[in-house]
Amino acid sequence: MTVRRFHAEIGTAITTGALGVAAIIGAAELGTGWSDHGPQPGYFPFWVAIVLIGASLWNLGGAVAAHLKAQRTPPDPLDDPEEPFLPRQNLIRIATFLGAMTAFVIGMLTVGFYVAATFYIGLTAWRQGGFRLWKGLAIGAAFAVSLYLIFETIFQIPLLKGPLEPLLGIY
Amino acid sequence: MGNFDLLMHGFSVAITPMHLMLMVAGVLMGLVVGVLPGLGAPNGVSLLIPLTFALDPTSAIILLTSMYWGALFGGSTTSILFNIPGEPSSVATTFDGYPMARNGQSTRALTLAFVSAGVGALMGILVITLLAGWASQFALRFGAPEYFAVYFLAFAAFIGMGSAAPMKTLVSLTTGLILTSVGMDSVTGSIRLTYGFSDLLGGISFLVVVIGLFGIGELLATVQEGLRFRGVSSKIDLRDVLKTLAELPKYWATTLRSGLIGIWMGITPGGPTAASFMSYGVARQASRQGAAFGSGRPEGIVAPETADHSAGTCAMLPMLALGVPSSATAAVMMGGLMIWGLTPGPMLFATKPDFVWGLIASMYVSNLLGVILVLATVPMFAALLRIPFTIIGPMIVAICFVGAYTVSGATFDLWLVLVFGLVGFLFTKLDYPLAPMILAMVLGHKAENAFHQSMLLSDGSLGIFFANPLVTGIMMVALALLILPKTLGLALSLRRNRKVVA
Amino acid sequence: MTIKTALIAGTALLAAAVPALAEWTPERPVEFIVASGAGGGTDNFARTIQAALTRNDILDQNMVVLNKGGGSGAEAFLYARQNAADPHKLIFGTNNVYLLPHVAQLAYSAEDLQPVAALALDEFLIWVKADAPWQTSMELIEAAKAEPGTIVFGGSQSKDTDETLVALIEQTTGADFKYVPFNGGGEVGVQLAGGHIAANVNNPNENIGQWQAGAIRPLCVFSPERMAESEPVSGDMGWHDIPTCAEQGLDIERYQMPRTVWLPAGTDPEVLAYYQDALTRVAETQEWQEYLAKTSQTAAVLTGDDLTAFIEENEAATVTVFEAEGWVTAAAQ
Repeated sequence: MTVRRFHAEIGTAITTGALGVAAIIGAAELGTGWSDHGPQPGYFPFWVAIVLIGASLWNLGGAVAAHLKAQRTPPDPLDDPEEPFLPRQNLIRIATFLGAMTAFVIGMLTVGFYVAATFYIGLTAWRQGGFRLWKGLAIGAAFAVSLYLIFETIFQIPLLKGPLEPLLGIY
Repeated sequence: MGNFDLLMHGFSVAITPMHLMLMVAGVLMGLVVGVLPGLGAPNGVSLLIPLTFALDPTSAIILLTSMYWGALFGGSTTSILFNIPGEPSSVATTFDGYPMARNGQSTRALTLAFVSAGVGALMGILVITLLAGWASQFALRFGAPEYFAVYFLAFAAFIGMGSAAPMKTLVSLTTGLILTSVGMDSVTGSIRLTYGFSDLLGGISFLVVVIGLFGIGELLATVQEGLRFRGVSSKIDLRDVLKTLAELPKYWATTLRSGLIGIWMGITPGGPTAASFMSYGVARQASRQGAAFGSGRPEGIVAPETADHSAGTCAMLPMLALGVPSSATAAVMMGGLMIWGLTPGPMLFATKPDFVWGLIASMYVSNLLGVILVLATVPMFAALLRIPFTIIGPMIVAICFVGAYTVSGATFDLWLVLVFGLVGFLFTKLDYPLAPMILAMVLGHKAENAFHQSMLLSDGSLGIFFANPLVTGIMMVALALLILPKTLGLALSLRRNRKVVA
Repeated sequence: MTIKTALIAGTALLAAAVPALAEWTPERPVEFIVASGAGGGTDNFARTIQAALTRNDILDQNMVVLNKGGGSGAEAFLYARQNAADPHKLIFGTNNVYLLPHVAQLAYSAEDLQPVAALALDEFLIWVKADAPWQTSMELIEAAKAEPGTIVFGGSQSKDTDETLVALIEQTTGADFKYVPFNGGGEVGVQLAGGHIAANVNNPNENIGQWQAGAIRPLCVFSPERMAESEPVSGDMGWHDIPTCAEQGLDIERYQMPRTVWLPAGTDPEVLAYYQDALTRVAETQEWQEYLAKTSQTAAVLTGDDLTAFIEENEAATVTVFEAEGWVTAAAQ
C-alpha cells in the first residue's frame, strides 16, 4: 500500500490532536480554572489545547471528505488527495538521509561530536558523493577541526566529547 | 540643540583609530556569529564580555554593540541563501528572501536586505539621538496591560491576513503556544507540561525548534527532490547592487512604516524578533498583492529587515535609560554594563555623557561599516554553495545540531531538532504554515505573562485592557488589524457577487 | 595535537596525580555553571569571580561560563546531579539551591550538591514611588491593613525570594498585599517608577538607577544593622542612611540572600579545600571589593561549618513561610 496524501493529512491531524489531548492531561493536573490569584497555571494551555483539538478535528474531517469526494468524482490534478505522498524513489532518499542523520546523533552522544562529524561527513561523501573514502574523511576531519577552533578556542563553548578527546589531552 | 552638541561630542569620542578597529573587529566577529545558526548574538556578546575587562567602558560597549550589528547582518545572509535563519530576528526574512534568491536574484535579495537593514538602523539611531530624554519617560507608562496589548498587536498584525487554510494556521499557532508553555511558568511559579521529564524543565527553546523546522526541514525537502542543493549561488555583482539601490526608493512607504514599527517595538520592549514579524505582517496586509508574499516579494525583505535593525538599535535606548533590555542581546550587554561599573537608568545620560553619546555616535559609524563589510564578505559565505551537496549537506546538518546543542548544552535538544525537522518537512508538504508556530513560540509566553499580570492587577476584569487611552488605542489597532482584512475581503466579494447577479 | 604533546600532557597528569593526596589542583578547564540567564544577578556574580580568579592568577586553568537558568535555576542543579563527583564543575546560585526542591517537584535534592562557600549577602529593601504617601514601612503596612488586598507589591518570579519576603511581612504583621510577579528585578523597578505597582522588595543593585534619578525611594532594609557607608546615592542620602526595618518596628530581623558556590556532591575533600581556599582569596581581591561596592551587597565569607549552619537556619526559616502559605509540594513534604 502506498502512503497517499490523504493518509498523511489524516496522520498529521491525529498527531496534532493527540498533542492537544496530552496538553489537556498536563494542564488538568495544574488546575484549569480561576483562583483568587487570577487564572491557574493550566488555564492557558487548557484552552489553547481545546482550540488545537477542534482545529485538528476540522482538518481530519476535511481530509476524509476530500477523500470521499475524490472517489466519486474525477480527481482535480492540482489538488488530488489520492496522489502518493512520497513516491518510492523519494521515500528511499529521505529514509537514507534520515537514517544517516539519526546515526550521527547517536554517534554524537557516544563518541562525541568531533569524531561523529568526521565519520558522518566522510561516509556520506564516500557513499553518496562518489569521493574516495580517505578524501571524505579528510574533509570531515578538517571540518571538525575548524569547528573546534571556532567554538572551543575562540568562543570557549564546549561541544560534546567522547572517549577519544581526553586521550589527546582535550577536555 | 543640546542633543546635537552632545552628539558631536560623541563623534569625537567614537572616531579614534582604536575605536574604528574595534568596530571592524566587532562587526566581523558578529558576522561569523550571525551566520552560524545557533551561535546567536546573545551568546556571542556574553562570550566577549570577559575580554572587555581590559577596555574602558566606552570602548567595551562599542565592541559589543558592533558585534550585535554584525550578527544582525550575518543572520540575514543565511536566511536568504540557505533558508536557515542565523538569528531569530531574521526568521521573517526567510519568507521572501529565500524564494527571491532561488529565483536567481540572490544579489538583489541580499542588497535589499542589507541596505534596508542599514536604513532601519539609521532611523533607529536618529530616533535615539532625538528622543534620548523623552522616550525614557514614555516607556515608563507601559504596565502589564500595555505590554499585553503590544504583543496582541503583533499577533493580530501577523495573523489578520494569512494565505493558508485558516484551520491549518490555527493548528500551527496553537501548537506553538502549547510548546511555549512547557517548563517553568514564572508568573505562577509552577512547572508545566513536563510530565516528569527533567529535560523539559528548561522549556523548549524556540531556537532549537527553528533550527529543526527550517534547517533540517529544508534539507529533507532538498533531499527528497534529489540530491541537489536548493541553496542558491550568489556572486555579488556590483551592477546588480547598483540596480537594486536604484530600485529601493520605490519601497519608501514600506521602509518608513517598517522603520516606525521597529522603533516602536524597540522602545516598548517588544524586541527585534517581534518587530520583524509584525512589520512583515503589516507589509503583507498593506500590499495589494498580499497573496504573492512568500514568493519573493521585495517588500517582504525590506519590511522585516528595516524593522529588525531599527528595533535592534532602538533597544539600546530603554536598556540605557531604564535598564529594561528589550532583547536577549541587550540583556547581556546590560550585564556587561554593570560589570564595568555603570548603572543603567535615567541618570546615566546625565552622569556619563561620554559613554552614552560615544555609543550613540559609534552606532552611526559601525552600522555603515556593517553594510560595507557584509556586502564585501558575502562572496566568501556564498562560496560555500559551490561545494557539492553531498559534502555541504552533512556539514549543514552538523552545524544545525551544534547550533542546537550550544543553545543550552542539552543533548535532549539534539532529538528535538530531529523531530522538528520531520515536523517541518511534513507541515510544509501539507501546506501548514510554519511562521505562526514560531511567532507563538517567541511571544506566546510573554503575552501570557502580561495577560496574567493584568488579571492579577484588575482582579480578573478584562476592562483593564481598555482602562486608559494608551492601552485602548493599541488594542483598537490590534482588533482592527485582526478583523478588518477578513471583513473587507468579505464585503468586496459580496459586492462582486452582487454585480455578477445584476 | 601531536602524539608527543599528548604524551607530555599524559605524564604531567601522572605527575600531578601522585602528590594529589596533599593538594589538589584543577587539571583541565573548569566549568562555571550559572543558575540564571546571561546578565542576571547570579551571572554577574560568577563572571566577577571568573575575572578575579584570572587576573590574580589564583586559578591557572581556563574557565568556561555556562548559563543554565531554566526552571528558575533547577536546570543547573540537575546538571550537578548528572555530573556527580566531577571536580571541574562549580555551580553558582543563591539560596535557590536548597529552597527550590521545597516548592517544586524536581529530580534533584539539595544533597546532590556540596556547598563550597557563600561570598556575599544581597540585601532586600522595601521601595516605594518617590511621591508615595508612606514614609516608613509601618505606614505602608497600616495602609494595607486598612484596605486589604489593594496595595500592589511587585516582585520577580513566583514563590521565589521576593514573594517569600512579602508573604513573611504579611504573616508577621497581618497585613494583606496583592503580589504580582514579573520576570526580573529590573523590570519590577521600572514598573514601580512608572507607578504601575505600589511597592517592591528589590535588591539595591536592581533599583539604584531609579533611586539615583529620584523616581523611587527606599523605606527600610531587612538587615540586622544598617548597610555599609557609601557615597551619597540620591540627594544627600547614601545606603547607610536607610533605616533597618526592625528600627521602624517591623519585626523581621533579617532577610538576606546569600550568593553561593557549590560543587557536585561526591568530590574528594581536597577538591573542596582547594576551592574554599581559592574563593576565600577571591574575597580579598580588588575586583571583588569593587563588585560588592557597586552592587551594594554585604561582604560575608562563609565556608565549612559556618556555611552549613547558615544554610540550615536560612532553610528552616524560609520553609516555615512556605508551609504557612501552602506552597510546599506533596513530594517534598
